[in-house]
Amino acid sequence: MENQESTVQYPGAHELDKKDRPWIFRTYAGHTNVQASNELYKANLKKGQTGLSIAFDLPTQCGYSSDDLIAQPEIGKVGVPINTLDDFDVLFKDIDIHQINTSMTINGTSMWLLSLYIALAEERGIPIASLQGTTQNDLIKEFLARGTYVFPPDASMKLIVDMYEYCLKHIPKWNPSNVCSYHLQEAGATPVQELAYSLVTAITLLDAVKARKCFSEEEFERCVGRVSFFVNAGMRFVEEMCKMRAFTELWEKITTERYGVKNPKFKRFRYGVQVNSLGLTEEQPENNAWRILIESLGVTLSRKARCRALQLPAWNEALSLPRPWDQQWSLRLQQILAFETDLLEYPDLFDGSPVVESKVEALKKEALLEIDKIMEMGGGIDAIKSGYMKAQLVDSQADRLSKINTGEQTVVGKNKWTDGVESPLMQSADGGVFKIDPEATKKTLEALANTKQQRDENRVRAALAQLEADARSEKNLMLASIECAKARVSTGEWSQVLRNVFGEYRPPTGVEGQSLSLEDGALDEVRNKIEAFVAKNGYRPRLLVGKPGLDGHSNGAEMISVAARHAGFDVIYYGIRLSAADIVNSAVEENVDLIGISLLSGSHMEIVDQIFTALSDAGADQQIPVILGGIIPKADHEILLEKGIKRIFTPRDSDLITLVNEMMDVIDSSLAT
Amino acid sequence: MPAIPTDQASMLQQIEQARSGNKFALAKLVSLFENQKKEMIALRQVALSFLKDNIDESSAGFFIGVTGTPGAGKSSLIGKVCETLLAQDANIRIAVLAVDPASQVSGGALLGDRTRVQFHKNRSRFYFRSQSSNKDLGGISFSTFHVLRLLRYFFDLIIIETVGIGQSEVAIKDLVDHTLLVMQPLSGDQIQFLKAGIMEIPDTFIVNKCDQEQVAKQSYHALKSSLRQYASVQAGATDRKSARLVHRLFMTSVLNGLGVEELACHLTELVKDASQRSCFQEKEMSYFEQWVKNEYGKYGERNLDQFFNAYTASLELDFLQEKFQHYMDFSRFNTS
Repeated sequence: MENQESTVQYPGAHELDKKDRPWIFRTYAGHTNVQASNELYKANLKKGQTGLSIAFDLPTQCGYSSDDLIAQPEIGKVGVPINTLDDFDVLFKDIDIHQINTSMTINGTSMWLLSLYIALAEERGIPIASLQGTTQNDLIKEFLARGTYVFPPDASMKLIVDMYEYCLKHIPKWNPSNVCSYHLQEAGATPVQELAYSLVTAITLLDAVKARKCFSEEEFERCVGRVSFFVNAGMRFVEEMCKMRAFTELWEKITTERYGVKNPKFKRFRYGVQVNSLGLTEEQPENNAWRILIESLGVTLSRKARCRALQLPAWNEALSLPRPWDQQWSLRLQQILAFETDLLEYPDLFDGSPVVESKVEALKKEALLEIDKIMEMGGGIDAIKSGYMKAQLVDSQADRLSKINTGEQTVVGKNKWTDGVESPLMQSADGGVFKIDPEATKKTLEALANTKQQRDENRVRAALAQLEADARSEKNLMLASIECAKARVSTGEWSQVLRNVFGEYRPPTGVEGQSLSLEDGALDEVRNKIEAFVAKNGYRPRLLVGKPGLDGHSNGAEMISVAARHAGFDVIYYGIRLSAADIVNSAVEENVDLIGISLLSGSHMEIVDQIFTALSDAGADQQIPVILGGIIPKADHEILLEKGIKRIFTPRDSDLITLVNEMMDVIDSSLAT
Repeated sequence: MPAIPTDQASMLQQIEQARSGNKFALAKLVSLFENQKKEMIALRQVALSFLKDNIDESSAGFFIGVTGTPGAGKSSLIGKVCETLLAQDANIRIAVLAVDPASQVSGGALLGDRTRVQFHKNRSRFYFRSQSSNKDLGGISFSTFHVLRLLRYFFDLIIIETVGIGQSEVAIKDLVDHTLLVMQPLSGDQIQFLKAGIMEIPDTFIVNKCDQEQVAKQSYHALKSSLRQYASVQAGATDRKSARLVHRLFMTSVLNGLGVEELACHLTELVKDASQRSCFQEKEMSYFEQWVKNEYGKYGERNLDQFFNAYTASLELDFLQEKFQHYMDFSRFNTS
């Protein structure tokens, strides 16, 4: 257990013969409201967790206050709701924020959350220079995969650079952003794409910082040293370990050659990990415990490329949000690996291995080619605007799913050895899943109303006016944001001012120009069905696909759209962040035969109710069938079907053509009634 | 559950409901006009003659065609301009018909234009419909023509969005009162259009995505000079003509709203100006001629009268197709 306090120091090469320090143990956590999350954090720290990793709810991530209509079904669902500084005070109650390392998974509104953290420290009388932690703040991967962007790419980049400029001078131990390859892998990226796209992101970021010319050479070198990464680790753990070594070597090359960094300390590839959730299965979920262990090995075995911080998903993540016990089980895995085994005692185990070296070289070579290609296309921001990277990821994901469907890639319990005894883990009273108390959102809304009532409105107006003025005159927005925080401005108010100035961005989807290689008998069967429908009815079946609510995981919806088009549907793809009324209005205007909605945030009950109410308001009650896809706990299926949903598809239903076939069945039986 | 009206009584009922603002009823009528079953021909004829008898021709809608290369930002710009128009004029009713190409393999289509049109206010006066161009080459589909004949009775302004450049603009030009060409700044689009002789087609030029002032200025001057150059090489072109062309040139940005108000005002003027309208029957006929030539080649051209008589009797191109089927080796609009 020695040296835990000194995790902020990094061992130099000369220290490699000493015993390595353990990484920071984290669990991605936050839910319901600030009171419940605060209890959870304190309990986790007591269990031996050494850092906090805060999950925010979707309204907070997308820049809406809890009292906004679009926010209401989502409050506290996937993380903690934060509206004002008063919420932050409760969230960190009895937690020493100058001692703890806090990682915030926040992107579009990261400047706002950092401002709240700084304001909290200042109000508590803590020198802000002592704060340490990370704001995730990688917008490129939000545009590509995760979906909680708020502002357009150029404005987003400006905010990130503002934060680098401010942090380097005032909170030197803060990582203003974390370049994420994590979500790229979740979106289907191959190791080469993961390497290339996240390094392109880092280059785009540093080029933007450099272009502002706000740092001296020495400061810029330190700034390069602040760039940290957030990586994913999947089941092919040998390749993943090689990927991590490739990352460290490529980063050293880039920092040296492109940015002329001399101090080896600032060339080090610093990264945290959350291991892969994509490979976790809904079928036989207990097997996921072993998958998580194996994935952890990929990022811990090689000392040269060992992670700085590790957070593990819970075994039942494919089913729902984890319960405290599920998270504890994952934390124990980390503790056993670090403290019971001899892993930390040795220098690097793979130095000199020809197998590892050649694999690393191959990955580096391919990644460099892809990096050059994107840089020739104009760099990361242009590759976002053109949709190039997004389309590549959709392709890779389609490829991965086809391989699972054809059995080319074995997934135990899913496409092989699928019979088994039911797990006793699923048989507890709560069905093995976590549920949020719907009454708890009241507390959040009341707190917001209270703050709004008690705050000094003049100070609020002045702070927001200053924010707007600074944004229009392209000043650094940190100071104005910190003043907003202290004035008790809300998350929605801060975001709206900047939306007015910068606009709101809708990135290109991955659906255009995509094709799938799914030519087989099953496809012919669906196509015949559709052609029969066209001959009989005189038009092509029309499907509307959209994502209600704020969760931005659009890949599933996009895959379905591409598959349905491939089979012969006319697919109206309507994108993300829609209200139930938006979706129903579109379905009615387009006179579609089927509405497909996808939801991963856990707010399906509320949103499905809203959809059916809107359908009946539009006079389309019982006339357009609705199907639902996403992470929907089994226990909810029956209720949803009773509400009127015709089919529910979960990650278990990964065969796209079977799925499209079933959609045709729903349409046929609906037309028959 | 029938998705479209199948008998005369329910169809006329749908028309009444659609006229009183019921969107679902209107949407079902649009589906009827897109439908390729032969039985629908008679229903459409009834619908059209009913509308003709009950709605004053002078209140029928104005057609604007919007075209340009993929990625020029047509959908976002249309969304923004419509939002502005609806806010400026408390009575105007607008429909957008967005046509996207279908997969040549499966016949299915991904219609994604809706993702770029987002607004909630004034929803009752705005209608958006996505349409696949089926397996037709070119920007607009066979059923586009059918649907436009319907929508003109329900809206003051009908915007038709098509992709691509080439054949489709010729087709769209035949159908609409005014054509907008949307281009990306400094993309070399204008040079391509000059080469292809397409500059003579659009009535209004728009350089979209002028998010930065510098880009806007550069694009403006580049396009202005190509238009001048184009005008000067045109036989008989006068300075006045080139001046007129330059007048209809807009720099826009959806992101910061540049030029959107101006464009909206320009469109409002067009809608109000009776001299801008061409007679729908004439448009119909010139589209018809074009269609017969494309479909039946020299044979069609020689027998245009015969086709024309058949057409006026039925008001349906489908009908012609059936009638002249024996002259064709294949039919492009085969439904199966």
